[in-house]
Amino acid sequence: MLGNLNIRVIADYFPALWQGFLNTLMLSGLGFAGAMILGIIACALTIQPLRWLRAPAIAYVDCIRATPLLAQLYFLYFGLPRLGILLPEIVIGIIALALNSGAYVAEIIRSGILAIPRGQFEASMSSGFTYLQRMRFIILPQAIRPTISPLIGQAIVLVKDSSLLSLISVVELARVGQQIALDRFMPVEGLAATAAGFLIIYYLLKALAGFWSRFDRVPGRS
Amino acid sequence: MIRFQGLNKWFGSALHVLKDINLDVAKGEVVVVCGPSGSGKSTLIRCVNGLEPFQEGKLVVDGTDLSAKNAALRELRMEVGFVFQQFNLYPHKTALENVTLAPIHVRGLSKAEATERGKALLAKVGLADRMNNYPSQLSGGQQQRVAIARSLCMQPKIMLFDEPTSALDPEMINEVLDVMVSLAKEGMTMMVVTHEMGFARKVAHRVVFMDQGAIVESGEPASFFGNPTHDRTRDFLSKVLHH
Ligand SMILES: Nc1ncnc2c1ncn2[C@@H]1O[C@H](COP(=O)(O)OP(=O)(O)OP(=O)(O)O)[C@@H](O)[C@H]1O
Ligand SMILES: [Mg+2]
Repeated sequence: MLGNLNIRVIADYFPALWQGFLNTLMLSGLGFAGAMILGIIACALTIQPLRWLRAPAIAYVDCIRATPLLAQLYFLYFGLPRLGILLPEIVIGIIALALNSGAYVAEIIRSGILAIPRGQFEASMSSGFTYLQRMRFIILPQAIRPTISPLIGQAIVLVKDSSLLSLISVVELARVGQQIALDRFMPVEGLAATAAGFLIIYYLLKALAGFWSRFDRVPGRS
Repeated sequence: MIRFQGLNKWFGSALHVLKDINLDVAKGEVVVVCGPSGSGKSTLIRCVNGLEPFQEGKLVVDGTDLSAKNAALRELRMEVGFVFQQFNLYPHKTALENVTLAPIHVRGLSKAEATERGKALLAKVGLADRMNNYPSQLSGGQQQRVAIARSLCMQPKIMLFDEPTSALDPEMINEVLDVMVSLAKEGMTMMVVTHEMGFARKVAHRVVFMDQGAIVESGEPASFFGNPTHDRTRDFLSKVLHH
């Protein structure tokens, strides 16, 4: 079947595909940056002792994890205008991606912090560090390391999820693929081009994970 | 310096872990706390720097009333060093960084001052040549000495030790005890949970025996070891002194 692939169509659409590829990168990059910020904040709130700050953070993580991204996307797409908030589709898409992955990022970082032995908290507390100093100097540097690989994994998921934004007519890789299918009635060519784009991003992230794993250890430990 | 008055603590509603504790530790005094496993020694000593809250009674440490709701715990902890059974060094920091981190960020020393002080202390505990090693590159005895230096670098008024040699191989126990002995001789106020009765004999001003959450007996080492009055103390001593 691949032998029958109409390469010319793909070549014709190359500029559009390239644009889609760049857009996917941009959407995913911004989405993941937002997810990291949201995730770190949500995680910080879920592990601190004040109940009234903790409850909303836990509710956020639960709601996101319990519902499909598609529902979240439509919820924002149709819900925000009702609240009088009119944003371009692409911004809504990025917000949806960030909100969605943010919950997973929060869980990943939380598991990293929970893996830190109690003694580290007790020792740093006994030395008189404030809560924020303990987090900054002692807990987070140890907690972040083992979370890098799962975070890259979450980034890979986010890149794939960004294809859903084609449903609210954001122009990205999947959308361009659909365009090829619709304009030229060549769905296989469209899908193959889309898939190739995603595969490239996947391998970039995988290489990053591999590169990181060489440093993924406590200094001094062989 | 440290005064327990009728202190009671429960874990949950059922476990009465500290029972009517009354104990005074004067400035410069070295008090050794011993007793069977589960008798509440760790819990007792952890109350002193606020790692464990308690429900009843009063505990005043260096003028800070720990029973007060808004006790200035952080300020108190700057004056009270704590050495753990499991060392609890920061694994991502070198020995020197472990020692200087709190002086820089909690005491506000300059990096140069803290480094100078830290190097002197590491030299004092016999680790002048291991300052740039990470904890994982050090033996247990060395790690515990770094942990002691880490506490001392804050220039505390009180040092608390919770079984500092229990996690060590026998041949490393003395190197840690030696550091503690010299500290005691310099006049540091110390509370030490340990089963090292040799240490107690040598430097303790007082030995306290705990059983089932209560202080059963306390006295100067000579009388405590010479003629313990309680059966449970005698029983315990015969067990720890026989090996
Ligand atoms: N966080 C906790 N929650 C509930 N129970 C606890 C907790 N910490 C300790 N205990 C219980 O309190 C009692 C006293 O514990 P503690 O650690 O103070 O004893 P210990 O004298 O230090 O014993 P060891 O010699 O084994 O260290 C034990 O029965 C223990 O199981
Ligand atoms: Mg104990």
